[in-house]
Amino acid sequence: MSTRALAAWSASGLVIALSTSNPVYRGVVLLCALNLLLARGRRGPGLRLLLIGIGIAAATATAVTLLLSHSGSHVLVRLPSAIPAIGGPLTLEALVFGLATGLGIAAAMLAVAPLTLVSQPHELVDALPPVLARTGAALGAALNLIPGTVRSAAEIRDAQRMRGWHARRVVDWPAVAVPVVLTAIEGSLTLAEAMESRAYGAAARTHLSIERWTPTDTLISVTSALAAAGFLTLTLTGGAPGWFPFPVVTVPAVSVPAVLCCALLVLPSLWMRR
Amino acid sequence: MGTLSFAGLHYTYPDAATCVLDALDLEVDAGLVVLTGASGSGKSTLLRVCNGLIPHFHGGVIGGSARVLGREVVRTPTRELARDVGFVFQDPELQAVYPSVERDAAFGLENLGIARTEMLRRVDDALATCGIAHLRQRAVTSLSGGERQRLALAGVLAMRPRLLVLDEPFSQLDPEGSRALLAALDAAVRGGTTALVAEHRHHLVIERAGRWLLMAGGRVVEISPPAPVEPASPASDRSTPPPSELSWQLHRVSAGHGRVPVLHDLDLCGGSGEVVALTGANGSGKTTLLRTIAGLLPPLSGRVERRPGRIAYLPQNPSALLHRATVRAEVAWTLRRTHAAGGAGALLDELGLGAVADRDPRDLSTGQRQRAALAAVLAGNPSLVLLDEPTRGMDAAARASLASAIARIAQRGGSAVVATHDQRLVAAVATRVVELREGAAREQLPLMAVSR
Repeated sequence: MSTRALAAWSASGLVIALSTSNPVYRGVVLLCALNLLLARGRRGPGLRLLLIGIGIAAATATAVTLLLSHSGSHVLVRLPSAIPAIGGPLTLEALVFGLATGLGIAAAMLAVAPLTLVSQPHELVDALPPVLARTGAALGAALNLIPGTVRSAAEIRDAQRMRGWHARRVVDWPAVAVPVVLTAIEGSLTLAEAMESRAYGAAARTHLSIERWTPTDTLISVTSALAAAGFLTLTLTGGAPGWFPFPVVTVPAVSVPAVLCCALLVLPSLWMRR
Repeated sequence: MGTLSFAGLHYTYPDAATCVLDALDLEVDAGLVVLTGASGSGKSTLLRVCNGLIPHFHGGVIGGSARVLGREVVRTPTRELARDVGFVFQDPELQAVYPSVERDAAFGLENLGIARTEMLRRVDDALATCGIAHLRQRAVTSLSGGERQRLALAGVLAMRPRLLVLDEPFSQLDPEGSRALLAALDAAVRGGTTALVAEHRHHLVIERAGRWLLMAGGRVVEISPPAPVEPASPASDRSTPPPSELSWQLHRVSAGHGRVPVLHDLDLCGGSGEVVALTGANGSGKTTLLRTIAGLLPPLSGRVERRPGRIAYLPQNPSALLHRATVRAEVAWTLRRTHAAGGAGALLDELGLGAVADRDPRDLSTGQRQRAALAAVLAGNPSLVLLDEPTRGMDAAARASLASAIARIAQRGGSAVVATHDQRLVAAVATRVVELREGAAREQLPLMAVSR
């Protein structure tokens, strides 16, 4: 699947996840995105880290909503009102709304994840239209610095350890943090120098590798666009109702056409699993 | 019209009190020109004027006239000069723009808008010229320092520059890489390219260079070629007393990054008073072996033993260590952390850093930084010293002071392992030479030091 088709799919998933408050539609997007990631067969540390990050973000959203929103009819527990901000009733409705918010965050992050986990930074850059080529090359170079910085952080920690450094207190960390930051800055400057020295920005860029665009890419892009457009239309016309658990938690209403729109996003993973 | 024409050139870095280039006059027409001079003399600054990074990227105050290929540097942006001026920096690790070898080699051609078929042909040629065609599909992050240096050169050669500017291009190359680079330089010069090369390892270019320039006091002067140096030869008569005590030992050690071993079942040891030089091609596993001995990289199998005592480790990138405000403070930090007695002064003087002891180490030239990092790791009388390419960017005087520091450590019963391609250093300090090849270690005779 080409990077542009993948980008179209991610954009559609993101539009659906962010345009509704209904956890059912968000859940369908989340399942489609997860299915796509697993279908690509890349289950390395990148995916693990991403899932951990999503879990933390979703849990944080749930906790914050539960602790700060004191609305709702079913009180689970009551914190002393003397505690600033979080003091007061913690309700079932706030908990459910927090979970739905976390689900939305997870669905949005997972919708974009294939672009970063499945594609290389330079594939993303190449997928940009010519008008964004210069910005894209700079972006790609910047993305390329990230793994280098992570690696240099480990090297610096090792090198300082050999000089007697131990991470016992907060004041010990500058011995590693300062060279990591300075090395990253110097690395960025050297990279910028290297790019200038290799005629970056001298002419309209061409590309060594040209991504093949197949009929499947067209199919995926069109169905993704249809999914997003259909869902947005249904949302705007009241055909895909949102959901709000206050003042009393309710079961979300589900529209079959809206679910089908979301389910169109499963197409790339079905194609990959063939 | 000369390729380079500098007249009365002045340059001062932003916020600097003194100028680096001072009424510099230089005319270069064609051929291979070698620029020499002590670390910090301004060679890299002069090279950066050639492609306009100075003043366009670095700012500062520039005066006088600087014309490159007929164009006034001050009025021509670097990206325009780059159509005809190829530049390879001292730090190959930081020059890769794309993550794969093939794509990175093509980056300059993409910027010039070269058609794809022509681009493929030029990338093929450049990779083959630099001897890295077999690495074409590899990730840049998986390359050794020397391989990256060759990739940086390939990326520039693919652009077919009329002027090639190389800053210490041999600093990390193995003998095969050096030969490939020399052949590439020969071919480029024969094809009409002018090459300006800053290099401390004179013996590598002595037969090819048409002119020699010395940079000192902000100016360049024409000098006669250095006297030819006989190749270092095996010193079969160098008597090395048997070590009284083992300092480190590997028992059937396999090691590598991830689960892929680079070194296989190594049995190797080093004793007190020994200086082991690790040689081998780029990517042969020298850094992996050093890190394994240091204990920074757990072996995949086998066992590593080390005598108790402090281990000093100099990584390939000296900037990794430097975080204090002055060179002196760097040394003092190590002394404090290792609870060692003594001051920083003697070591700084030994390494020729007395004059820059109170400067920020990150403001120094590459060679001076390397020495500052060395001072930082050697402080506090370590019993085992592990140095990864320690002569990078060093001039002859600095190499001599490094050799004397290593010899001093060995004389007081310490042990050293030095990974290097620098045959002069090997000849000067090694009591044993171990070559790594295809994951195995092969003991060789040490090289005999030769006079320069």
